[in-house]
Amino acid sequence: MAKRSTIIAITVSAAIVVVGGVAAGFGIAGAANSGTKETVTVRLWDDQVAKAYATSFAKFEKANPNITVKTDIVPWANYFTKLRTDIAGNSVDDIFWVNAGNFIDYANNGNLLNITKTFGASAEKAWSPSVVKQYTANGSLWGVPQLADPGIGVFYNTALLKQAGIDPKTISTLHWDPTGKNDTLLPVLEKLTKDANGNNAASPNFDPTKIVQYGYNAANDLNALYINYLGSNGASMQKGDQFTFDSPKGIQAFQYLVDLINKYHVSPSAADTNTDGSFSLNQFTQGKMALFQSGSYNLANIKQGAAFSWGIAGMPAGPAGAISVTNGVVAAANAHTKHPDAVKKVLAWLGSAQGSAAIGATGSASPAVTGAQQVYLDYWKTQNADVSPLYSVLKNGTVQAPQGANWMAAQNAFGPIFEDIFLGRTPVAAGLKQAQDAANAAIK
Amino acid sequence: MTARAHRRRNALTGYALLAPSLFGLTCFLLFPVLVVLWLSFQQWDLISPARFVGLANYVSVLSDPIFGNSLLVTLVFVLIVIPIQTGLGLLAASLLTRGLPGSTILRTIYVLPWICAPLALGVVWNWIFAPTGGALNAILGTRIEWLTDPNLALPAVCAVVIWTNVGYVTLFFMAGLLNIPAHILEAAKLDGAGAVAMFWRIKLPLLRPTMFFVLVTSLISTFQIFDQVYALTGGGPDHRTDLVASHIYSEAFQLFDLGRAAVMAVVLLVILVAVTVAQQLYFRRRTTYDLSV
Repeated sequence: MAKRSTIIAITVSAAIVVVGGVAAGFGIAGAANSGTKETVTVRLWDDQVAKAYATSFAKFEKANPNITVKTDIVPWANYFTKLRTDIAGNSVDDIFWVNAGNFIDYANNGNLLNITKTFGASAEKAWSPSVVKQYTANGSLWGVPQLADPGIGVFYNTALLKQAGIDPKTISTLHWDPTGKNDTLLPVLEKLTKDANGNNAASPNFDPTKIVQYGYNAANDLNALYINYLGSNGASMQKGDQFTFDSPKGIQAFQYLVDLINKYHVSPSAADTNTDGSFSLNQFTQGKMALFQSGSYNLANIKQGAAFSWGIAGMPAGPAGAISVTNGVVAAANAHTKHPDAVKKVLAWLGSAQGSAAIGATGSASPAVTGAQQVYLDYWKTQNADVSPLYSVLKNGTVQAPQGANWMAAQNAFGPIFEDIFLGRTPVAAGLKQAQDAANAAIK
Repeated sequence: MTARAHRRRNALTGYALLAPSLFGLTCFLLFPVLVVLWLSFQQWDLISPARFVGLANYVSVLSDPIFGNSLLVTLVFVLIVIPIQTGLGLLAASLLTRGLPGSTILRTIYVLPWICAPLALGVVWNWIFAPTGGALNAILGTRIEWLTDPNLALPAVCAVVIWTNVGYVTLFFMAGLLNIPAHILEAAKLDGAGAVAMFWRIKLPLLRPTMFFVLVTSLISTFQIFDQVYALTGGGPDHRTDLVASHIYSEAFQLFDLGRAAVMAVVLLVILVAVTVAQQLYFRRRTTYDLSV
């Protein structure tokens, strides 16, 4: 009996070893048999651009038959957490997108290929200067510019404006004033917000618990909303790496946004928007929101989702004018890639007008390769969408975009406090002070 | 073959059969525990080299009021979830073992939430709890901010966890109840025991081993709950649902302070071992009835 058990045990153990060995062997054989054929993986968070990349890489593979390029989409919600753990586990893709708030950590730790050293400083001339500037640290550029979001604007639902008797042309002229004296934005938003009984927000019979149509998307949204309100009131989110939003003008800007939600009820409750980042976009595309402040990154989503006539206007001006943020995204390369030569070829392709043209051709995003930008503008022209307000706002000057090592830690420090501020549960002044102290402690 | 050689062969066979489990236990439990202990003395952000900092992480975590709040929230959460979940499981098992029509289908339905991915359930419940357009508010005809109201968020998370786990608990109680020999129940009936007396004086004492197993496993899993909280509230609002496991995740993978996160994991391990030992001592002192005769 014991003999039989021993045989079974040994057989099982041997089987495990054999199966493991065979599996490992296949892995080794797979690599060995690949010969000169190499696979380069590219990680990004935007599925619209991933579709454009598929078109672009098909052309690249034709010209480079020994290189296959695969895209790997990681959702935005977990993108930077997964990136960090994959870098730690040495399992990150060969090329990956980074944003301005996150690249510096990796650049400082030697995880990124130095683009200036790889392609020379002259290569930068082909790319959007603002994005090059944003991703240059310690005298070097750390990624090949891919997207150059212009400024922020306001998408409007033509029919809802018409119903309220508002001329779309007037939207670009709206301005807000924290003192209320010179505020033309709020009255318009009140007209555009309706409850289930058809009363607008200016009516004394308006029921804020039964809103069926929102005027605007004021929310805890850095890129589309509060950083621009800070800039438009002469305040800023950061100066250098230091957080500076807790200032008298910063408090005014936040208070104005919070009041739009909790006092005037012209925007969705933060209970909806804090936990669902797409809530306002969905309301707009479903025809339940009249004005939606956002950037070019939502153009394709709105085109796909909105079954009504819409347009783009300039964002509302504050006491300091209409001051928008402008942001870029780069494709950084893993400094420890196993395919350095192939990676360089793919990066060079991504940084060329030909390689980036597909991004603009489908209108999915505004390319950072300047030679490919006209394709993007032409595309939206064919779609009868005038995107010029997103560009013209930049003439007023810009507010500094997020930056600094440990940005993610800082964001995690101030994020929950901002959520409470927008919910109206923490007073703006006290909340901003607490948030700024926490953010500066985290980013140092 | 001598008796000694026979014993040696038996022992070898035993070790060979144990080897795969031992391998798994060492690789996926003991080794990670040792790594966590090592990490608790390091400062590490996942991308720069780890640096030995002695007891600094322990001092920092044990004096951190936010971590203290997290432990308190976890304690409240466990005190709400375990009694309700166990009571409901016992009630459901009692009803399902009565052989009522449809019991078989109900058993399957009860277990369905437990076999579903917790994160997916969290997303579904997020839709149900949504203030605007959420199913629950639509049914109630009102607007309640279930997940962002500081007073409602924890009860809402508790409700989802209880709903998920009650089927699992029911299964074990059902097995325990069906294992009680019919002659004992018949004897009690002949002695005039009613349904209530039968439950309290016969069934419940005979379920003691099942109860021990259910309480130990439920308690450990409840202390470790992460997925549902992550999907529902992310620990908010204002840290009201900041359970320890969720806090550890946030510290490790959002703040990238692996050292502090490791200390929190060690604290959780110590609590779980202490609670399990206490439970074992409590149940060991009580009589356990042998149902095999």
